[in-house]
Amino acid sequence: MRLIAYLLPRIAAALITILGVSVLVFLALRLIPGGYADILLGPFVTPEARATIAERYGLDQPVVLQYFHWLVSLLQGDFGVSMVTRKPVLDEFLRRAPVTIELAMIALVVALSFGLPLGIASGTAGRSRGGVARFIGAIGASVPDVVLGSVLIFVFSVWSLWLRVGGYVPFSEDPVGNLRVMLLPGLTLSVFGVALVLRTTRDAVMRVMTEGYITAAVARGERPRDIIRLHVLRNASIPVVTVVTTYFGFLLSGAVVVEVLFSIPGIGLYTFSGLLNRDYAIVQAGVLLAAVVFITINMLADVLYAAIDPRVGAGAKR
Amino acid sequence: MNIRSSINKAAATAALGLGLAATCVLPSLAQDKTITWGKPAEITGFDVHVAGTVAAWEMYQMIYETLLAADENLEVQGALAESWEQTSPTSYVFKIRDGAAFSNGRAVTAADVIGSLERIKDPETASYWSHQLGDIAKMEAIDDHTVSVELAAPHPAFLPALAHITAAILPIEELKAGTFDPTSQLLGSGPFMVEEHKQDESWTLVRNPHYWRKGYPLADRLEAPIIPDESARMAALRDGRIDFTTFANPDAPQMLSKEDNIESKPQQTTNYYRIDVNALSDKSAFKDKKVRQAMNLALDRQAINDFVFAGTSDVDYPVPAAFGKDACRSLDTYAMPREERIEKAKALLKEAGNENPEVGLIAASSNPVLGRIAQVVQQSLGDAGFEVEIESIPTAEYLQRVFTDGDFDMSTSWLAGYTDPSMVIAWWNPEFAVWNQVFQENVPELSAALDEVKTMQGGAERDAKLSEICAMIDDGANLLSLVSKTDYVVYRDDQVDVTVAEKSGSSNTFQYISEFKPLD
Repeated sequence: MRLIAYLLPRIAAALITILGVSVLVFLALRLIPGGYADILLGPFVTPEARATIAERYGLDQPVVLQYFHWLVSLLQGDFGVSMVTRKPVLDEFLRRAPVTIELAMIALVVALSFGLPLGIASGTAGRSRGGVARFIGAIGASVPDVVLGSVLIFVFSVWSLWLRVGGYVPFSEDPVGNLRVMLLPGLTLSVFGVALVLRTTRDAVMRVMTEGYITAAVARGERPRDIIRLHVLRNASIPVVTVVTTYFGFLLSGAVVVEVLFSIPGIGLYTFSGLLNRDYAIVQAGVLLAAVVFITINMLADVLYAAIDPRVGAGAKR
Repeated sequence: MNIRSSINKAAATAALGLGLAATCVLPSLAQDKTITWGKPAEITGFDVHVAGTVAAWEMYQMIYETLLAADENLEVQGALAESWEQTSPTSYVFKIRDGAAFSNGRAVTAADVIGSLERIKDPETASYWSHQLGDIAKMEAIDDHTVSVELAAPHPAFLPALAHITAAILPIEELKAGTFDPTSQLLGSGPFMVEEHKQDESWTLVRNPHYWRKGYPLADRLEAPIIPDESARMAALRDGRIDFTTFANPDAPQMLSKEDNIESKPQQTTNYYRIDVNALSDKSAFKDKKVRQAMNLALDRQAINDFVFAGTSDVDYPVPAAFGKDACRSLDTYAMPREERIEKAKALLKEAGNENPEVGLIAASSNPVLGRIAQVVQQSLGDAGFEVEIESIPTAEYLQRVFTDGDFDMSTSWLAGYTDPSMVIAWWNPEFAVWNQVFQENVPELSAALDEVKTMQGGAERDAKLSEICAMIDDGANLLSLVSKTDYVVYRDDQVDVTVAEKSGSSNTFQYISEFKPLD
């Protein structure tokens, strides 16, 4: 009951947020210059041709009515059809989701594998001896994906190294080929994650290390390994869980820049192409699904807080 | 004994069966030869009569056919029509090729030809090609394979207009029956048909078993992964994942030329890069004709060729250089030394009372070449006193601002030259073109001359008229040609044997795709 009381307001807030996102994305798409008629006809878009295309896709209706139709369709599980292919966009998102999930998992695994140990080591080492980790954190946080990705693409397209640029192969067809294609974008995407996890872990560990109960544990003569395992990690984990879940939500929502750069056919590339082509149904569905994923993951993080720290859940009673 | 005998019989039957199966299956596997095309961009729509982008045309050309085609001398030749006859200045009779069939097996008929041309002319279709076909007064099916077309007025560009992919012949019977939707499907009589399409990811085409040219295409399958990034296409060529691709600028082919087994073939086209100038907006300095003329004189077309295209292109003219006409070359814009042109441009700006015009230059971000051209334009106009600010914006925004809102000073793009000199310059008449009405000044004398040249047969008289038109176009300085657009086909010579026309007039880079031969 306590968990339900804790979650209910969050679910209500999530639904309101999703509704808000749906209004924003719907309006934003219709406010930005250029439409599908421009893309389809190029310069040859006469007023008559524009009107014909608008009528064909129901864009001649008032915006409020268009939004209402879209919302009703959404509630029935119909996310609309692509203007280019006239096929349901949900099918495309489902087909591409495994690609984005794989990319996100690679990035997350790399980020955790390097970020957590380096963060803990740096945090326990103190300010004077954590220089290397601080440097890695600063570099990782400040190099944009587009710069790092472009450098990697240049290097790996000029020299015939084992890893490949583009040419996605599904894991089920060729696991090795798949890894050869996915590692570079995964690594590109993970660099920011490494820095994020490292810095957050380091700060959290350093904060916990100054707490009285750590001093007490030291005074009791507990072994440093036990102090870190039993007292530091558990107490430092809440901010780390927050950033990791947020980061994972960001990855799953579509790592647009990396997918576009490396021509990885995930949901980010699909949504981005939809935006360039003013293919409204794709962008609306893409942004909405991203919002749902992001919000859901944040709610899961809230549940995790309650599990890690009972005081969080108890707060709901008050 | 009986049991042993039965086992032996069963074994023999199984062996025979396996042998037969192997005989049937293995050769087909062995012959399943694939070529892989690194396609730079996804199509923008399925309707061949509507889409106005090269990314779409390239794919249509694999699947659809037109009645006529243009050869590399820009002469019209038969395609779906094996022959044709012009019986009067306004009358044509086309004989459809025996054996031509759509990929569903149904023969192409006169009704398909008539229905397709009617569909293009129908305003409901919203086809931009309607005007280029001229005014079709009547079409009749003389028999299943013969079509007569009567134009309301002479229009020599009618035949070249039929050679452009936008005039493709659709299966009208299926369209009317509702079994074929041209806005979401591709069904043609060309060398390939679609097996699978993953949007923004890849196309898989397989041979059309009913293609009229026996023994072609030489490849059984055509895989087309979509690889927009230039570096990724280069990498794919290097490691052999794709057999061929195209580039819009010579940098990539030059870098790849150092690789073993990678070759490139430049294809000259009638297309050229251009600048659109806004002569109608009160907000634009170019509303003053003298400022436009100064800009035209100050443009350094040779510098664009040198710096953007490493000298591999050529200065081009409103009547494209590829047609070999001398229509525009003696004009000051092209013939006068640059120093003198700059002085003349400065004098014009002084006369206009605007010695340092501040103007914006839009370059759509989707094509990096346009941004590079804009930078050279910025530099060269600066020599005459212009202050140019470059804007790089998404394609959809560019299209709306330039062609619908007229909210710009000048913008870079390119223009398809087609296969007859009268076709491209027809766009200088905004009443005919429509697409440039928001920025192109309507000059009645020029429009009349353009209407007249459309009715003239090729020859000295028409060439003289073209020169007269070119001078008027240059005087208006409203829509300017820059340099020729060369396409570069780059391929693995150890994986595929390609045939590329040296010159193309219909943006048909892969005109000979059916002759691309996969190598073992």
